[in-house]
Amino acid sequence: MTLKARRRFFMAACLIPGLIMFILFKLYPAMQVFYKSFFLWTGIGDKPKFIGLKNFVDMFHDDVFLLALRNTGFLIVIVPVFTLLIALVNASILTRTKLKEKGIYRTLFFFPSILSFVVIAILWSFIYHPTIGFLNSGMELLGLGDYAMAWLGDSRTVLWALAVTLIWQAAGYYMVIYMAGIDSISPDLYEAAGIDGATPFEQFIHITIPMLWEIIRITIIFSINGVLTISFVIVTIMTAGGPDRHSEVVMTYLYQQAFTNSNFGYAMAIGVFVFVFSVILSLISNKLTERGVS
Amino acid sequence: MKWHKILSAVSACALSVSLLAGCGNSSSSDSGSSDTAGTSDGGSKKVANGELNIAVFQGGYGREYWDQISDEFMKDHPDTKINITASPKIAELVRPKIVAGNPPDLMYIAGGDNLPILDGLIKDKALTDLSDIFNTDEGSGALKDKMLPGVLESRSMAPYGDGKIYLAPFNFGVLGLWYNKTLFDQKSIQTPKTWDELFAMNATAKDNGRALFTYQGLYPGYLDEVIIPSIYDLGGQKALDQFFDYDPEFWKSDVFKQVWGNIQKFANEDNGLMKGTVALNHTQAQTSFMQGKAMFIPNGTWFEDEMKDAPREEGFQFGFLGIPSFNSGSSVKAMSQIEQIVIPAKAKNPELAAEFLKYIYTDKSIKLNAEKSKAVMAVKDAADLAKPFISETTYNVYKAVDNGMELVNGTFKTVAKGSRYSPKDEVYKTISSLMNKQMTLDQYSDKMYKMYSEVSKELKDSAE
Repeated sequence: MTLKARRRFFMAACLIPGLIMFILFKLYPAMQVFYKSFFLWTGIGDKPKFIGLKNFVDMFHDDVFLLALRNTGFLIVIVPVFTLLIALVNASILTRTKLKEKGIYRTLFFFPSILSFVVIAILWSFIYHPTIGFLNSGMELLGLGDYAMAWLGDSRTVLWALAVTLIWQAAGYYMVIYMAGIDSISPDLYEAAGIDGATPFEQFIHITIPMLWEIIRITIIFSINGVLTISFVIVTIMTAGGPDRHSEVVMTYLYQQAFTNSNFGYAMAIGVFVFVFSVILSLISNKLTERGVS
Repeated sequence: MKWHKILSAVSACALSVSLLAGCGNSSSSDSGSSDTAGTSDGGSKKVANGELNIAVFQGGYGREYWDQISDEFMKDHPDTKINITASPKIAELVRPKIVAGNPPDLMYIAGGDNLPILDGLIKDKALTDLSDIFNTDEGSGALKDKMLPGVLESRSMAPYGDGKIYLAPFNFGVLGLWYNKTLFDQKSIQTPKTWDELFAMNATAKDNGRALFTYQGLYPGYLDEVIIPSIYDLGGQKALDQFFDYDPEFWKSDVFKQVWGNIQKFANEDNGLMKGTVALNHTQAQTSFMQGKAMFIPNGTWFEDEMKDAPREEGFQFGFLGIPSFNSGSSVKAMSQIEQIVIPAKAKNPELAAEFLKYIYTDKSIKLNAEKSKAVMAVKDAADLAKPFISETTYNVYKAVDNGMELVNGTFKTVAKGSRYSPKDEVYKTISSLMNKQMTLDQYSDKMYKMYSEVSKELKDSAE
């Protein structure tokens, strides 16, 4: 037995347990999702009945699903854009300036990322509380009481209110990623630009963003996926999809169909759709941001 | 030599892979083919002995009752052993077991998050017929005569409309409007008997610095406590049947216009609906009510216990009003809600489960339940058996029922398998738009008409 063969064997032995876990807990359930989406099944006891693509056809005649999809689309566009923008600006300010309280801000901004989503949702549902909430009380204090409203109870504001929560939750996390990225940019570049008379804003546009571009591309995809998953917890606790489904997102609707309406097959079809949807979205985002590499 | 070692290691790896893969396979094929295994196994046993696995909801009532009643049962029936699984999220725990064809022998399922699993089991026809347990006379009269009248015949217990009982009644709640008794006593305000009287109290409410009404905004489903008795009040059982059996014409009827018009009136009248109600969850709304921000709120007999730690205005005392009627002649009504116990069709030991179920209805057990859970079972005179253990407010609510408050109960017909509608959600969630004045009563009625037409068509198609 040669050294090479032994090394191969060692590598295989190390890989196989992980591979088995991956197949068993990721690949196999995922395949089941695809497979079960072709069936009529309550998800409890009876035998699934094959109905082909009917679940998928039904999906596009389902007003609630389409509304949920629109709401999800709104969050997927709004949240990553603002989150990443805020994260980038904050990261750049905290690394490039000589603020004394840098350390405190760094901790404060990152803090939401270590809180559980449930805690965040409960916290914000009290911030938005129509009478005793921090937001409305604060507005009254500032003499803006006439503009105070039931933010989570109004179909015009509910999605924006949820978006703010999602942005607040994620911005600090991406900020830390960007800060690490900025630290690895050679200070010479900034110094040279500074000598040439570039303002901090110009440095941000022409040095920071291009140098971080690869990291930004990845965080866009992370952020989109984050919205898809986190929105479930936030919506369930803060609004229960209300008022009148105006904050229903695809994940809450999927859950409702699977576990409230006992339509497991239909729920799996929604799951497949979400999967395909997010893969396509990631590909599009990858394609759109590609030219930035050069 | 070395090769040998490697080979054995590789084969060991391969073996473990196939073992794991085998696990995956067997569990998936289990769910398909196990319907034969479970029933034949249980059917052969005649004597009530052996092991009983029960799954119980551990909610506001706790699990102490179940622990003790099991001990008592095991004392009276040597040779038996009861294993209890209890959780607030009991449906999540039993679901995988049911899917694998290995359900508990007896399940007490309650609580909003858990109830859908019962709907699923009903859709699948996966419950044991309990009619014999209630109809058979074992010397001391049939068990069915012990139950509150009308309960066993209701759709909650006999879901297929053929008179056969598949769900056994357990704890019983009364639901309606609540008010602050101290406030009413101190200012000598009369409790309203009709809706006109109630709306006329708006000025009084305003004088006392509160809105007339609030409800659990994020969960408009609580409004059924107002709506269902109101439908019955105006249109009797006939209108209620239309509503629960998906007759689209219901949404064009006068009953609909009056009942929903009434709900809408809270939103339309100045000071009618507490500010921001639509955005509040149940605890927030209930706390606001107890702090004196609103005069009335719908809720059930569990209210006092649920909110025992919540802040309240000084001297607050729970008062139960029920649901006012539309005509001064008819009585005040209230909705009743009864928790359910089931024996799955694939239970391993249905005989013992049946014995245990009968045991639950003994006087000893009813008293124990009252003592440990502070709950009242849906049997005759249960309130009096429970009196030493429950609060005066709660006792009075149950007593009000005995003294002429009419109880109304009902459940939506189970929709066709595969239907994407949950009529309860559709009907109640849409009310948020009415309350926000973003939908008119006509638009609401059109939407519901369409939904009912589709649901009843699906039911017709699936019956063919």
